[in-house]
Amino acid sequence: MSACDTAAVKPAEVKLVPKDRGGIINPMYDCQPAGAQFAGIGVKDCIPLVHGGQGCTMFVRLLFAQHFKENFDIASTSLHEESAVFGGTKRVEEGVMVLAKRYPNLRVIPIITTCSTEVIGDDIEGTINNCNRALKAEFPDRQIYLAPVHTPSFKGSHVSGYAECLKSMVKTIAKTKGAPNGKLNLIPGWVNPGDITLLKYYMKEMGVDANILVDTEDFDSPMMPNKVIDTHGRTTVEDIQESANAVATVALARYEGATTSEYLQDAFEVPHNLVNTPYGIKNTDDMLRKISEITGKEIPESLVRERGIALDALADLAHMFFANKKVAIFGHPDLVLGLAQFCMEVELEPVLLLIGDDQGSKYKKDSRIAELKASAHFDMEIIHNADLWDLEKKIAKGEVKLDLIMGHSKGRYIAIDANIPMVRVGFPTFDRAGLYRKPTVGYKGAMELAESIANAMFAHMEYTRDREWILNTW
Amino acid sequence: MPMVLLECDKDIPERQKHIYLKAPDEDTREYLPIANAATIPGTLSERGCAFCGAKLVIGGVLKDTIQMIHGPLGCAYDTWHTKRYPTDNGHFNMKYVWSTDMKESHIVFGGEKRLEQSMNEAFDEMPDIKRMIVYTTCPTALIGDDIKAVAKKVMKERPDVDIFTVECPGFSGVSQSKGHHVLNIGWINEKVETLEKEITSEYTMNFIGDFNIQGDTQLLQTYWDKLGIQVVAHFTGNGTYDDLRCMHQAKLNVVNCARSSGYIANELKKRYGIPRLDIDSWGFSYMAEGIRKICAFFGIEERGEALIAEEEAKWKPKLDWYKERLQGKKMAIWTGGPRLWHWTKSVEDDLGIQVVAMSSKFGHEEDFEKVIARGREGTYYIDDGNELEFFEIIDLVKPDVIFTGPRVGELVKKLHIPYVNGHGYHNGPYMGFEGFVNLARDTYNAVYNPLRHLAAVDIRDKAQSTPVIMREAA
Repeated sequence: MSACDTAAVKPAEVKLVPKDRGGIINPMYDCQPAGAQFAGIGVKDCIPLVHGGQGCTMFVRLLFAQHFKENFDIASTSLHEESAVFGGTKRVEEGVMVLAKRYPNLRVIPIITTCSTEVIGDDIEGTINNCNRALKAEFPDRQIYLAPVHTPSFKGSHVSGYAECLKSMVKTIAKTKGAPNGKLNLIPGWVNPGDITLLKYYMKEMGVDANILVDTEDFDSPMMPNKVIDTHGRTTVEDIQESANAVATVALARYEGATTSEYLQDAFEVPHNLVNTPYGIKNTDDMLRKISEITGKEIPESLVRERGIALDALADLAHMFFANKKVAIFGHPDLVLGLAQFCMEVELEPVLLLIGDDQGSKYKKDSRIAELKASAHFDMEIIHNADLWDLEKKIAKGEVKLDLIMGHSKGRYIAIDANIPMVRVGFPTFDRAGLYRKPTVGYKGAMELAESIANAMFAHMEYTRDREWILNTW
Repeated sequence: MPMVLLECDKDIPERQKHIYLKAPDEDTREYLPIANAATIPGTLSERGCAFCGAKLVIGGVLKDTIQMIHGPLGCAYDTWHTKRYPTDNGHFNMKYVWSTDMKESHIVFGGEKRLEQSMNEAFDEMPDIKRMIVYTTCPTALIGDDIKAVAKKVMKERPDVDIFTVECPGFSGVSQSKGHHVLNIGWINEKVETLEKEITSEYTMNFIGDFNIQGDTQLLQTYWDKLGIQVVAHFTGNGTYDDLRCMHQAKLNVVNCARSSGYIANELKKRYGIPRLDIDSWGFSYMAEGIRKICAFFGIEERGEALIAEEEAKWKPKLDWYKERLQGKKMAIWTGGPRLWHWTKSVEDDLGIQVVAMSSKFGHEEDFEKVIARGREGTYYIDDGNELEFFEIIDLVKPDVIFTGPRVGELVKKLHIPYVNGHGYHNGPYMGFEGFVNLARDTYNAVYNPLRHLAAVDIRDKAQSTPVIMREAA
């Protein structure tokens, strides 16, 4: 561990810069269709159909299985040469009919394009019209929603792909404004089942009837005596239809959920609200206050106590162990910026933030970056369009001296090789057990994350014999 | 009716031609499953794409070579952190992937400049690495980028580097198998006999079609060292780019995986007259047979017998301990293709296990000829099996363990059936004598795991009690 710096003598500088290379060495994100598939599996009785080569589906299913230790059903149109030459829409039509016939409970099929089928220029909307006619003829008593999801891999990343698919499913399924249902739409973004469980608990404690878009709590599913397989999203077609009748929407993720919230406002006059993703104490406070303000429900004693327990735990760690420790964070933008805010609360110094994606202009408008600029008392570099080589190189060249890395498992070897403690967070975290079950959002998430950080640092002190005797008494 | 139409396939009756149930006294010539044919869209097939067959399976194994993937970032992200093929130089091959990160403007205006920039960047960033393989992907093939011309230009400007190009976009062929073929033939056409290496033994061979899964190659290398045989090139486990350029110097081609790499052995025979010898490296009897054949070729039979005797003395008692306990257990194998015929008889002969169902993702008819000859009667042989078929087959054959990938493993876990990783292994290596004891141990630990019995208990049922599972120490 580094010795404490006693004072910052110069004004701190917070830089937002893009990666200085064109190509990528070790990407932080997958491509758009992967994110679209993740949004799709969050809906019940839904099998996404990916229009592209088979690898675009097979590897993404493997990725989800690695992270959640579960299987998810996703289909492919198995695009081959003749489709590349003559167009592949017939394979979409065949795929839809095969799915409808073999899966009698199927109600939603997002049709997810890829780079190949966008380059070929397949007319997905026209194909969906054909499919709808065929489905009506074959299954007059069934309604299967086919959502067009345009996610060419050469734009955005799995973050924007997630947002695109969510919006398209809502657009396709929520068609009419009905009677107000008194519910609150809550769009959590790309989080873990443990986060969803915690958010649902908060809503229950507040007496808020929340409609979670999409509810992935069952992505952590049980082995049951009757061998039933319940690994699927919990958000139903009815839930999505009802999203048009809610009192308001609160989007908890700027890059993964805000566009759907905006759409619900534009199409159905459901007021759109965007709050910071609730990482850390202040962001959670702001979320709960916003929800309280919208719904008129009071924040209950139970959450005041949970907040107090979290603060009590954080206070044991912050200035004794965390203060002045330098941290790098990489992953989804909503996660990285939120965790940077959280770090500031517990005296960790997030000196290097890496966010992927080619959306630099969007990041410039992100109020969280402005807040970090105003509050950082140390130099901070935020690299956008970043890859993991940026992090590895900066460490190898000694441009940053880190006490901790926070990020997903794809960066594991950076920490292993540089012998820096690393706390896995975000997606995917396949090299640590059970993280999908633990919350990172909310008071409880902040507390559990801080404790994971502390324990990672403690283990590192012991393995490296670096003042491990401090813990002889604590 | 030896060709089987499963209940779940009643709406896609063409699947009947892909599923064979071997019956007694049958002329198997009449009942070969159709294989290496296009997948029906929407069936939830297990197949990947041609690109991954080249990059992930063969090229990406090399321990000293940059794998430059010309396309959007997803193709790189998805073929990273999905394999367990270590190397003796710190796993360079598993730590990094490279992508040209194609964006929309490159699709519109062409991506060759972007490729050239990314290649130069990669060499600049990793100055110790002088070898590279460049792969096209779906979109860069569709827009017609000339990757060969770019590679030539970079090689001209950087005389110390050597670059190989592979053009098999994801949509080519029907599975990863196409990619194996393209890489094999490209390599012999362009790279073999472009370098000479020092020959240190009068006995020289190439070891072809073994990818060092959990150290397979390194374990077998101890045998070749003991026998005094120089392996000119490993295709491609723990292998180097330059060794593969010297494949013409070997006196014998020993082939393990005939599906992924038989092509290059055939070409080496045709062009250089180097004989091809196929062996099975999994299983005691097969491994001994393989060593005997290799030693007979070189006239060093006594050395071979000494090695076999030494290894069997060391490992046979352990194998037999497991055999006693695995006798009569039922196994299903759902992997790529060749492991079906490599394993079905070896687990039967060496461990007394009955293989009751097998599915191949990308095997050809030749693979089914082999597996049906070696496999049991009453066993299902399936080409390109899909998820609903797996459920139905499990009900029919009730396996005690399934050798398959981790995603399907997560699925069958819910049915209280343990899996062993048939691709990356649980705790390998699995090749050779020691390796097959590892396979036996992992199978035993899976079959005798207490949790499956605990999972079957319904705690509401007063008639049931929770069992204590007795298990012997190995």
